[in-house]
Amino acid sequence: MEYLENTSMTIMDKLGILTDAAKYDVACTSSGSERKGSGNGMGNAISAGICHSFSTDGRCISLLKILYTNECIYDCKYCINRRSNDVPRASFTPDEICELTIEFYRRNYIEGLFLSSGILKSPDNTMEQIYTAIFQLRHVYHFEGYIHVKTIPGTSPDIIEQLGLLVDRMSVNLELPTAEGLQKLAPNKHRKNILTPMRQVQNGIARNRNELVLYRHAPQFVPAGQSTQMIIGATGETDYQIVNVAENLYRKFDLKRVFYSAFIHVNQDKDLPTLPGGPPLLREHRLYQADFLMRFYGFRATELLSEDRPNFNVYFDPKADWALRHLEKFPVEINRAPLEMIMRVPGIGVKSARKIVQARRHGNLTFDHLKKIGVVLKRALYFITCSGKMMYPTKLEEDYIARHLLETGERLPFNRDGSTYQQISLFDAGMVAEQPDVFRAI
Amino acid sequence: MHILICEDSVEGILTGIYRACEWHLEPEDTRIQIGEAGNLQLFAEYHTVEPNAETAGKVIRSIRAKLGDEVAYDLHNAMASADEEKGDAVYHTVVMAYAGKGCSVMNCLQNDYVRKVSELSRNVWCETHHLYGFLRFEELASGVLYASISPKNHILAMLAPHFADRFPLENFVIHDVKRQLYVVHPRKQDWYMIHATEEQNPDAGQQGKNMQLSEREDFIQSLFRHFVSTISIEDRKNTDLQRNLLPLRFRPFMTEFRTTKNENG
Repeated sequence: MEYLENTSMTIMDKLGILTDAAKYDVACTSSGSERKGSGNGMGNAISAGICHSFSTDGRCISLLKILYTNECIYDCKYCINRRSNDVPRASFTPDEICELTIEFYRRNYIEGLFLSSGILKSPDNTMEQIYTAIFQLRHVYHFEGYIHVKTIPGTSPDIIEQLGLLVDRMSVNLELPTAEGLQKLAPNKHRKNILTPMRQVQNGIARNRNELVLYRHAPQFVPAGQSTQMIIGATGETDYQIVNVAENLYRKFDLKRVFYSAFIHVNQDKDLPTLPGGPPLLREHRLYQADFLMRFYGFRATELLSEDRPNFNVYFDPKADWALRHLEKFPVEINRAPLEMIMRVPGIGVKSARKIVQARRHGNLTFDHLKKIGVVLKRALYFITCSGKMMYPTKLEEDYIARHLLETGERLPFNRDGSTYQQISLFDAGMVAEQPDVFRAI
Repeated sequence: MHILICEDSVEGILTGIYRACEWHLEPEDTRIQIGEAGNLQLFAEYHTVEPNAETAGKVIRSIRAKLGDEVAYDLHNAMASADEEKGDAVYHTVVMAYAGKGCSVMNCLQNDYVRKVSELSRNVWCETHHLYGFLRFEELASGVLYASISPKNHILAMLAPHFADRFPLENFVIHDVKRQLYVVHPRKQDWYMIHATEEQNPDAGQQGKNMQLSEREDFIQSLFRHFVSTISIEDRKNTDLQRNLLPLRFRPFMTEFRTTKNENG
């Protein structure tokens, strides 16, 4: 602890450099693990996750998100830490990481540690140092909070196996949706090296689940599951390709989350697109909406988009867009329709749908009831009936509903400006080619 | 119309519910009011109910046994709310449950009282969950961790178990500034709650002004402020979104939003 003070300048500088270098990583969730404190250390984990603060960009600060080092032997074109960039470099020591985590955690600043890293010498060399830091944190400092570690592609399976027993979540970044994009922008990384550890962790989790059935106190392997992230808008993939990749990751690799990160221009490079309108935030937003539809609403990627319509609608969210193209399935009768169908009504979310299904057991629901329960009818009213009646006399026609939905507007988490739209159309313009190849590699 | 005036506490409301049954009052014609009788109603009979721990215990045990933990949880949360109508909502929900709805009472969202309880419970849970994250400890010279909060609802008792589980080896104090209540957790022992007037505990009895922060506290705080300001991505700046997710009312108590050095230090 004294040692923090003696080197105060250095720690402050290092924290600045290595936070700045880590900030483009998306995942800051602390969810997925539920663990009571043992009573002999510090920390526990709550499965819903806890947000401790929000930064000025509106993103949640849950974990101490830092790099172990921002020195790197790779030269990925989109990355601020690439070898050829002239940026200040720094590395933490395991002790510094432990001290920072513990001191921040004690004051309830953070929910745990998110440790990623540039690559020193080799992937194995770097991961070994990270392992040392995490081991110390768990066994010397008795930290029982949440830990998320990024795996470097190409790390040997032994290290992943060992590290998996110490952390809550592991993730390997897919970086770019297709292998072609990866080859173009991250020449040192190979799709296979990314998918191999992902498969290993998946198998490890499955095996561990069986062990836990037999031995309740068997050590847990990556209990919060694994996630990944990919950059959107740096290469020419269509939304259709991206949601297909995501769907495959969920179904074939059992991922907990796929994160999408709007491409941010940090390097000047001839292979990178220019983004006059800033990062493609609307596109990122649409992908997250689609992601939620796939994970919680029972939608398949092929329902949302197709080869002929490979990109999301700028004006309508994916669910409203789907509903407008499937008016034959509407109107939905609130008092009778199955839960799955109620969830498909634009404007009605999972929570509202569940409330409706529970409440209708105790009596017929009217529009008035729906309002009071907290269902927002602004958009839903065009698609539902209560006891056979619509709320207002409306037409079940695509143009009519589309016009009215546009009038009510959509709440977006950022300012909607023309430039964001243009950005999308720029990349939509016929840059389609290959099929996603997530499982081709294995 | 009978109006039972109860104390603003779980005990007070539960005792009120017990008395309403004991006196065979018609539920349709009975209200439970919290605190003092403000606007007196004509033709209403006012009864002041003294809170009684034993009676309240009977009611809560009965609710748990007959309606289950989930309903008990919602009712308990609702009673911790700052809403003035909570007593009445809880009372009528309990009456409905005992009249036949049983453990599924919380699903009858058509009913105004049930919906009210459900809303209040959600609201209280949200604030609790917010403060799981937004609460900030400061290390005092004695090594004790001290946090002050000013929640809308009376959620101190819900925060305490979470932090006690998280920091079993720490001596910590959580101070509800609005209600002058303290949760005190001595290292490796159970936590307890005290009112500011009872200065039994030297750590808890201290008022904000004469607290000495530990030597390195300023340094750690500035490290965290540096971290928070660095992690933000300028290209995505969106303070409206930040304000939606982290309402301003929490910020005066949060380290990262204090620009100056701590005045107490």
